[in-house]
Amino acid sequence: MTEPTFEEAQRELETIVERLERGDAPVDEALSLWERGEQLYRLCLARLDAAEGKVEELARRADAAARAAETAG
Amino acid sequence: MKVEAQLYGDRRVFTVSAFNRGVAQWLTRLPTVWVEGELTELRRQQAWASVFFTLKDPADGACVPCAMPRGQFDALRLGLENGERVHVYGRPELWEAKAELRLRALSIERFGLGEHLAALESLKRRLAAEGLFEASRKRPLPRFPRRIGLVTGNDAAAKRDVVTAVTTRYPPARLLVAETLVQGARAAAAIVEALRAVCAEPEVDVVVLARGGGSFEDLLPFSDERLVRAVAACPVPVVSAVGHEQDAPLCDLAADARASTPTAAARLVVPDLDELRARLDRARDGLGRGARLTLERHRERLGRTHERLRRAPPLLLERRRAALERAGARLRALSPRATLGRGYAIVRRDGTLVRAAGAVAAGDAITVEVADGSFAARVE
Repeated sequence: MTEPTFEEAQRELETIVERLERGDAPVDEALSLWERGEQLYRLCLARLDAAEGKVEELARRADAAARAAETAG
Repeated sequence: MKVEAQLYGDRRVFTVSAFNRGVAQWLTRLPTVWVEGELTELRRQQAWASVFFTLKDPADGACVPCAMPRGQFDALRLGLENGERVHVYGRPELWEAKAELRLRALSIERFGLGEHLAALESLKRRLAAEGLFEASRKRPLPRFPRRIGLVTGNDAAAKRDVVTAVTTRYPPARLLVAETLVQGARAAAAIVEALRAVCAEPEVDVVVLARGGGSFEDLLPFSDERLVRAVAACPVPVVSAVGHEQDAPLCDLAADARASTPTAAARLVVPDLDELRARLDRARDGLGRGARLTLERHRERLGRTHERLRRAPPLLLERRRAALERAGARLRALSPRATLGRGYAIVRRDGTLVRAAGAVAAGDAITVEVADGSFAARVE
């Protein structure tokens, strides 16, 4: 199975939460849904952390380029 | 009339009066001429036989006093005022009493303005009727012209002012300067040719037509029909920066934009580099902020979803437990023990339920079960 995108994972997670909140899932299924939900949550969190790291890295690089341009100019 | 001198030995001596009269007479031999100048110090009084004024050369301030018989002056009905350019037809004469030279005016014409203004006004109306000055014909100026054509006089000031204003505002600007005559009879044709030449150069995206301030006549070439038409027909937008705010040569009306100063022209043809930089910086900051904000929102939403995920299973189990307990209660309610609690008893003989009176006979041993236990009994 291919890794879901952030949006796919988030959508699946929210569907699971809604299913659990309706309270009509069989107990065994509820437990496995919960487990799957936690797994999806960790996946989304890791994606967000990675994206945030990338934003900071880009900002740092742009700042450095601007400083270099200023010194050169 | 002969001017007589007195003789002291071999010395001929003139009286002051005779000297002045002599010079005055000699001056009458000079021809009658037209003199152009600016009318100043106009003095007219009912009591005086003449009207007096001074004619001033606007170029260097040289002056000549003038006089004209009041009746003649009034008959001209010019309503002249100080500061007007005039042509005075007259001859030099000496005011003998003071030996002052002055111009005896025979006629005065208002120079330029009258006929020129009327001609300009009719040209303006004609071109306007053709639609040459329509707002809909005005083209937008390029925001980032590759090259800027500058058509200007060969006097240094106008050219330098525009070049300085443009390069100060936008240092990378590339200017192509065409110098030309801007004054005199051949100026209009020369400017038209310069305009054509500049537009023929590659990458010229806008042209500035620049000329410093000047007199009404100085700016006349910029109202010449050929030039006005050339400006309107120019393949690239034209900015007219001719004269000052109060001057309104016709090329201003045909141009796509007009500027009353070199700085204003620069503002029209090039962007402000500092401002561009500042805007770019703000955009970049916004970019970073936007990315962070988006991630922050996703993180919050994920956090809320996770909280719901955590709360849901215990709640679900809690509901199941409650349902189970309700089922247990109903089960208990259905058990016979509840019936015994209300005072009923179960009777058994040899472990078999007694359901009818005929099922037992006197002397039989039975067990009776009540709510809190059972006891043995005998049928009578």
